[in-house]
Amino acid sequence: MRIIDRREFLKSASSLGVAALGARAIDAFAQDVLNIGVVHQFPIGEVGWETQQALGWKAIEAAFGGKVKVTAVADVQQAQDAERVFRELASRGNKLIFGTTFSQMAPMLKVARALPGTHFDCCASVTTTKNMGAFEARNYEATYLAGVVAGRMTKSNVLGWVGAFPVPQVLWRLNGFMIGAHSVNPKAVCNVIWINTWNDPAKEKDAVAALVSQGADVLAGSPNTPVQGVAAEERGAWSIANCSDFSKFVTKRQLTGDILDWRSAYVESARDELAGKWKAQDRFRGLGEGGFCTMAPYNPAIPAEVVADVKQREADIIAGKLKVFAGPLKDRDGKERVAAGASLPDKEIRSINWVVGGVNGAFPKS
Amino acid sequence: MDAITPVVIATLGAGTPLIYAALGELVTEKAGVLNLGVEGMMLVGAIVAFILVLTTGSTTVGVAGAAVAGALMALLFAFVTLTLQANQVAAGLALAIFGTGASAFIGKGYIGVALERATPAGFTLPIDIPLVGPLLQALHPLVYLSWLVFAGVSWFLARSRVGLALRAVGESPGSAHAVGYPVIRIRYLATLFGGAMAGIGGAYLSVVYAPLWLEGMVAGRGWIALALVVFATWRPARVMLGAYLFGGITIIQFFAQGAGVGVASQFMSMLPYLATIVVLILISRDATRMRLNAPVSLGKPFHPSS
Repeated sequence: MRIIDRREFLKSASSLGVAALGARAIDAFAQDVLNIGVVHQFPIGEVGWETQQALGWKAIEAAFGGKVKVTAVADVQQAQDAERVFRELASRGNKLIFGTTFSQMAPMLKVARALPGTHFDCCASVTTTKNMGAFEARNYEATYLAGVVAGRMTKSNVLGWVGAFPVPQVLWRLNGFMIGAHSVNPKAVCNVIWINTWNDPAKEKDAVAALVSQGADVLAGSPNTPVQGVAAEERGAWSIANCSDFSKFVTKRQLTGDILDWRSAYVESARDELAGKWKAQDRFRGLGEGGFCTMAPYNPAIPAEVVADVKQREADIIAGKLKVFAGPLKDRDGKERVAAGASLPDKEIRSINWVVGGVNGAFPKS
Repeated sequence: MDAITPVVIATLGAGTPLIYAALGELVTEKAGVLNLGVEGMMLVGAIVAFILVLTTGSTTVGVAGAAVAGALMALLFAFVTLTLQANQVAAGLALAIFGTGASAFIGKGYIGVALERATPAGFTLPIDIPLVGPLLQALHPLVYLSWLVFAGVSWFLARSRVGLALRAVGESPGSAHAVGYPVIRIRYLATLFGGAMAGIGGAYLSVVYAPLWLEGMVAGRGWIALALVVFATWRPARVMLGAYLFGGITIIQFFAQGAGVGVASQFMSMLPYLATIVVLILISRDATRMRLNAPVSLGKPFHPSS
């Protein structure tokens, strides 16, 4: 395993410039180790989005040991840099290359088209080609369960949601959360604040303060950091973690959380590549064995019958008996979005731009 | 708590980092030095304070360290612009970019680490007074310190001998030099003060407010502080007013959103800059008022032999 950042990576790339051809030849002939490249947009921290991605590729090493060599390049913030790094990774003999975020989709598409012999997989991509696959989490299944917990635990019937941007990935989680809460508590509402940034913890904290002072007692949203949970705990409110389990930081008042688990996405791609049968797939998975999301541990303050109910629903979701976006479902303006007996098709989930009733707040058009 | 108190508390909190950074920059600019690197100095202050608090457990050490770190950044700027006579605008922009990179580099191993939370600082009054009671309880000592800094800077600029010399240096460094003031040394000190204050502003964000380190977590507040100085037409009292106004805009917008009132948050984020442009238009239309407050030699290099 190697983690390097962009600068070090490009530096070594240029110093290898002259020898590159030779090095490539060695890579190709001297070993039957599968070289795998991963590109992270930000540094890999202790918790958060990048950490969950890193757990994914580390699982490849755990599963296949000496048969694979993973090179992870961190902190490649700009899409145009990502393109160069993808190319460089490919030219150094990496046969399978992972992108870790939506914004890497476009540069990866470009590189994949130019290098048909290399296989690519991009997290949160909405496109696939012959040699580029995608993987994305149905984490609305997890926020649905978190919503059930929130709906049961709220005393004020007001939930709070601090959102980064109203993109589909955030909106399907928000809708799942509200549908879950409504399924046990029809009186529940969810106030939403958009802070229009992924990385301004001070604003997250201000937003939590605003929501709590307006009556919200369970806070959820799209934090990549424990800030929200910490701020909620300081004000005596519950919180739902997202991405990673924040219970190390939010020691008392984290109810549960929707956790991303990309291990099977990474491991399956590597397994197929090793077996010589990798194929571009569009994988969109939720809870369960081999799924892309899990629940954080349930807070002991949650009554046992609520936990049992949630676990039953989880089993029903995994068995396909319970669909989160099942009809009849209206958006908050009263327009019917899903007819009775039907459920929302994946394509529409992945481009969702509406919210269900009970969600309060302004929606800047994204 | 009533509906107003949380808004007031949050506004005082959101305005505080701006006050530190803008008062520091005000003093720097009053001496005729334009340091555009506030964002970078705040970021370096933020990460240094974070690491110090994480290792020593003392907020005081963290804040002091941030002041020193900010001042060191400013020293770099001062050396380049005052001793080497480089262009201040270019050097300031370089400092902002350098600080962003340097803080990210120093903070590499600290991403996503959260601090042990300090016990809520503040005073509890023996009797319950609405608004005032909860306010005093919720405010961090750094908020009070910012008021002291404001009082100090106001007195220093308006009433003290050294403050007068500093203003003279900002107005007409040639004349100040002729009557025997050490122009370069005064400019150095003013720049260092600005850096130290920016560092404390950054420390407030990473240690008191968040408390955690994220790359680029100052998130443009350094630039708002720069705009604020212009908005305040170089007057400390207006800096305070503007800081709470600019801080309050975000807060009010959040409270409005939470209450379901539709406001385009992007528009609100752009308001501070819009307000600054309006002020710039107003003061440029009124030449006398402009001349009264803006340091005439702002951004112009000075060499004793010229």
